[in-house]
Amino acid sequence: MDDDDNNDAGEWLSEKTRFKMAQVEEKTVSSKEILSVIDSLKKQVAADRSLSVKKRLEENSKKLGGITNHLYTLSNERRSSWIGDTDSASDLLTKRQKDALGMQNGIDLSNGDDDGYSYQEPSTAVLMGSSIPVKNAVRPIKLTEVKKLPPYTTWIFLDRNQRMTEDQSVVGRRRIYYDQNGGEALICSDSEEEVIEEDEEKKEFFESEDFILRMTIKEACLSDPVLESLAQCLSRSPAEVKARYETLMKEKDVEASKNRDIEAQNWNSFLEKDLEAALDSFDNLFCRRCLVFDCRLHGCSQDLIFPADKQNPWNHPDEENAPCGPHCYRLVLKSERNDTVRSPMNPEDKSNSSSDGVGAQISSKKSARRKAKSSQSESASSNTRNLSESSDSEIRPGHEESSPTPQLSPSKNKIAGKSGILKRNSKRVAERVLICMCKRQKKMTASESDSLASGCVSPTDMKLRSNPRKQSEDATSSSHKDVKSSNTGRYRKKDWTLKGVQGEVPPNETVNDLALTSSNDFSIREEFVDENLGKQELSDDNSWKAIEKGLFEKGVEIFGRNSCLIARNLLNGLKTCWEVFQYMTGADNKLAYHAASGVLSLLEGCSKYDLNGAMGSNEVRRRSRFLRRRGRVRRLKYTWKSTAYHSIRKRITERKDQPCRQYNPCSCQTACGKQCSCLLNGTCCEKYCGCPKSCKNRFRGCHCAKSQCRSRQCPCFAADRECDPDVCRNCWVSCGDGTASLGVPPQRGDNYECRNMKLLLKQQQRVLLGRSEVSGWGAFLKNNVGKHEYLGEYTGELISHREADKRGKIYDRENSSFLFNLNDQFVLDAYRKGDKLKFANHSPEPNCYAKVIMVAGDHRVGIFAKERINAGEELFYDYRYEPDRAPAWARKPEASGSKKEDGAPWSGRAKKLA
Amino acid sequence: MAKTPIGLEPVIGSLTSSKKREYRVTNRLQEGKRPLYAVVFNFIDSRYFNVFATVGGNRVTVYQCLEGGVIAVLQSYVDEDKDESFYTVSWACNVDGTPFVVAGGINGIIRVIDASNEKIHKSFVGHGDSVNEIRTQPLKPSLIVSASKDESVRLWNVHTGICILIFAGAGGHRNEVLSVDFHPSDIYRIASCGMDNTVKIWSMKEFWTYVEKSFTWTDLPSKFPTKYVQFPVFLASIHSNYVDCNRWLGDFILSKSVDNEIVLWEPKMKEQSPGEGTVDILQKYPVPECDIWFIKFSYDFHYNSVAIGNREGKIFVWEVQSSPPVLIARLSHAQSKSPIRQTAMSFDGSTILSCCEDGTIWRWDAVPAN
Repeated sequence: MDDDDNNDAGEWLSEKTRFKMAQVEEKTVSSKEILSVIDSLKKQVAADRSLSVKKRLEENSKKLGGITNHLYTLSNERRSSWIGDTDSASDLLTKRQKDALGMQNGIDLSNGDDDGYSYQEPSTAVLMGSSIPVKNAVRPIKLTEVKKLPPYTTWIFLDRNQRMTEDQSVVGRRRIYYDQNGGEALICSDSEEEVIEEDEEKKEFFESEDFILRMTIKEACLSDPVLESLAQCLSRSPAEVKARYETLMKEKDVEASKNRDIEAQNWNSFLEKDLEAALDSFDNLFCRRCLVFDCRLHGCSQDLIFPADKQNPWNHPDEENAPCGPHCYRLVLKSERNDTVRSPMNPEDKSNSSSDGVGAQISSKKSARRKAKSSQSESASSNTRNLSESSDSEIRPGHEESSPTPQLSPSKNKIAGKSGILKRNSKRVAERVLICMCKRQKKMTASESDSLASGCVSPTDMKLRSNPRKQSEDATSSSHKDVKSSNTGRYRKKDWTLKGVQGEVPPNETVNDLALTSSNDFSIREEFVDENLGKQELSDDNSWKAIEKGLFEKGVEIFGRNSCLIARNLLNGLKTCWEVFQYMTGADNKLAYHAASGVLSLLEGCSKYDLNGAMGSNEVRRRSRFLRRRGRVRRLKYTWKSTAYHSIRKRITERKDQPCRQYNPCSCQTACGKQCSCLLNGTCCEKYCGCPKSCKNRFRGCHCAKSQCRSRQCPCFAADRECDPDVCRNCWVSCGDGTASLGVPPQRGDNYECRNMKLLLKQQQRVLLGRSEVSGWGAFLKNNVGKHEYLGEYTGELISHREADKRGKIYDRENSSFLFNLNDQFVLDAYRKGDKLKFANHSPEPNCYAKVIMVAGDHRVGIFAKERINAGEELFYDYRYEPDRAPAWARKPEASGSKKEDGAPWSGRAKKLA
Repeated sequence: MAKTPIGLEPVIGSLTSSKKREYRVTNRLQEGKRPLYAVVFNFIDSRYFNVFATVGGNRVTVYQCLEGGVIAVLQSYVDEDKDESFYTVSWACNVDGTPFVVAGGINGIIRVIDASNEKIHKSFVGHGDSVNEIRTQPLKPSLIVSASKDESVRLWNVHTGICILIFAGAGGHRNEVLSVDFHPSDIYRIASCGMDNTVKIWSMKEFWTYVEKSFTWTDLPSKFPTKYVQFPVFLASIHSNYVDCNRWLGDFILSKSVDNEIVLWEPKMKEQSPGEGTVDILQKYPVPECDIWFIKFSYDFHYNSVAIGNREGKIFVWEVQSSPPVLIARLSHAQSKSPIRQTAMSFDGSTILSCCEDGTIWRWDAVPAN
């Protein structure tokens, strides 16, 4: 629709309206008038439309004119290039042309002989003017025969299975099947099944409809009859029309300010985006099972499963002492220290003096702390400790040992219960909260001592803690962002600081096995450093953008509290190591205060509010993400029904009548109970499940050593599974034994290797595609193989059984099906996507067999040699059709030869008729 | 099909003939007994504007239109395989301008015939099933595309005999491809349609280096790194049945199904999201009794008019670029009763050829105005 036209029409109409309004004051307009208004508007729209079509055609026509002229020039150039060529006489087409022309002229001259073809000579043109068949009039030039290919549909090679994308589904789509022998077209669908699910999508209003709407209401005012007749005209409901009108009116007002807003938004959106939002796409696109982005097998909207077992943060022993760069916190700390050693008035001094290692001071402080420990705070700390124990996975056993025997207090139970609920609610929230708790608990022990020490030493601390309630509220709002730091890392960091400063390493303080008691000692001293550094830091916090904070949090998760690594790997170019360190320590202090105040409020019985606040906000935030994801996940509800199963599919029925069960990782965070989706589904838990390794439902792999997992004695082999280096004890992949250079495979004789990981490692044979000796295409082997050797995988699209039934109907008509039943949920279809093994033909006496094997949680089809096969032999296997469904060529009795393609007569598409 | 919203209705041509031009039968040939599926004029080389080729059965025949309704047979080729049934033919040429006749059919083998030497130039084996249409790139007439029953469209270089690109796969057609056409000016663009009821527009812009490489390839054609183009840039579901012919008209597309009409529409692509977009149906050209599939229409050189035959042997000539469409003429003859599979319009549209199911070729000439 052309804007100008619209405006013109609008003006014209509004004039008319004014005229009318002047004439008829009354507000009610009769329905007749409304209709006439609408009619005239419709006519207007129709006229505009034809005008615009005309305009566009004219424009197009102009362009085309230029194009054809150009093409004409090109065709003339071709001619002239040939005329220039002296060799043109050799052009037989031109020669024939000239002959024909000459002949015609001759005829014209002779002026009587109308039988042109009587002039005919061999290999010259023949003039046709009658109904004598041309084929008899000229001697044809033979085109030597070229052997045609066996028929196939263009297919794409897949080296691993792919799940079908939605747009490739044939379900709900009409497919007209053309039978080339019968010359008839059939609609290939069952009428009752084929309920065309036309989504009642909210139809958008088109510009022209808006125009009619606006103008009609402008003219006839907004009233029910007007709306009704409009609705009728636009075939929508009156409510819809009204809603649209309102939005139109709004749009008008908004339009002006809109542009400015957009600009502002664009500017802000990047900076305000936090890491969570950015990672959302990562979560959705990265497949945790295949470790690739945009995995075509598991889809990009799979449920996120986070393992209950956590990994220790990354640590790099080599880099402990060396500064990472000119802005490394170690250098900065050192220089500052040197500057301030002799100035007692400097707040830094306190930390220095304490960290300078006056043993007596420390021990006295320690003992003082222990003595002075109030029973209240003790119960509080045990509270939280216990709380974190209840949320098991987060706390290392060593730590638990060191904590005092828990004393139960009423408030604790509530909190523990709460965290339990959260756990169930969403693993993610739970995970975060656990970390929070853990940290909090750590901080509490630290701050306890801190408060005691600082109580006598530093008055500033008191000031800072004077308003605990406010602090706690701050904590709730920011805890999920700032709390992130892992406890082990924290202590380790302090170690390093000390090492860096003092060059004195306590012998028993290795990085990870830091006893709490000893760390307590240091934490007393360290808190001073932290606090003092932190104070100046607190104001700097604001300069950290959301994205940087997010990156920092992730960094702590990955690297522990190692500012060097975090700065280098995640905040490169954004923050220096020193800045990260400052931020980190600053965050710690804040936490310490928050935690301390948390303890106080906990004791006051306000803890519920506090924690709930923190959790509540957390929950809401995460929940929305979860809901979103859930919406996108397509859940397959199709149940296995052997009766509803029509089409011919390759199957494996050797051992089991029951199909394998599709595995979907469960999200249990504790040992799997009755609710576990794996248990309910009847599958084992795998390494991709959320449950801890101790889960009873886990498949535990094998312990085979010398047997190489080649017989049913291997539990993996017996369960039709491939061994998994992550799970099995002795099955692993090596690049050598460590002594030789990398990349040299271990020698076969002495270094046994697992022989049950061939699909996983893609150790397949070279398969060749060729003309089958039996029918159509066939698959052949390039090299000799022994019995039970793995040949290759039968890959294809993973489709649902419902989809397979639908596709099968079409394939069955073509008498060639590449469907393969995989498990209770999926069928493999190699029709358009697959590999060469899809061309292996059926035989009742085959030399290969197919087997569905579980490989890393996925079912895959491996083709194995049933006997020794020589190079160049064609591969056959038994498709194992269900007896009553097998096509004629696959039935056992008359199975003298194998045939996949029933010799459909290639007499051709006799008639192309609809 | 969803109801067309108000304001976007197509302009439908009226079937009352304007009689702008009158055509009269000037010749009728019986080529053989087998049905003729295709007829096409040579628009590649201006020397041969009056030369046309037909295919039917295992035969490819080259004719010339002479003055006074005379048709001369210039060349005739026969495939030794009697079971071959050619469905399509197109003119192409070598890089030095040697005229080629390219034909394909049920065997799926594309025959490239060197018409100036009267011998086979190359045979392209590769399609897994019958070839339903072959078209030539007008700007680079060494490039041809073929549409096949194997659900793929392939781009070939007739000069070097290379299969450059295969348009099939994840986003490809889901059934036989019946028709394909090069965009007249955008050299990267093609449109294809078929039995899956869709029209797909493909772009080879990202693969153009391979096209260029194909001209200089000296190794065996089979060693050329043929690429798959798996995703079209545009998909249109305009028809609810087989789409058996589509042709560009500038940036618009003319396509037909079995609904007794040709539809002119504009693909409106969204630049950011390929594969999506909307269709604006601009005009419709009714063609009565045209409800069987595999009936193809043709333009004259300048895209002024389009001619299409129907199931009963009648021909409708539309002025294709006027709005609303004008029916130039309706051609009928008492003896022409067999379905017309394809028509061919001469350079200026003054001659229309039709090839029929019963193996006849009809020549119609415009009657001079005075």
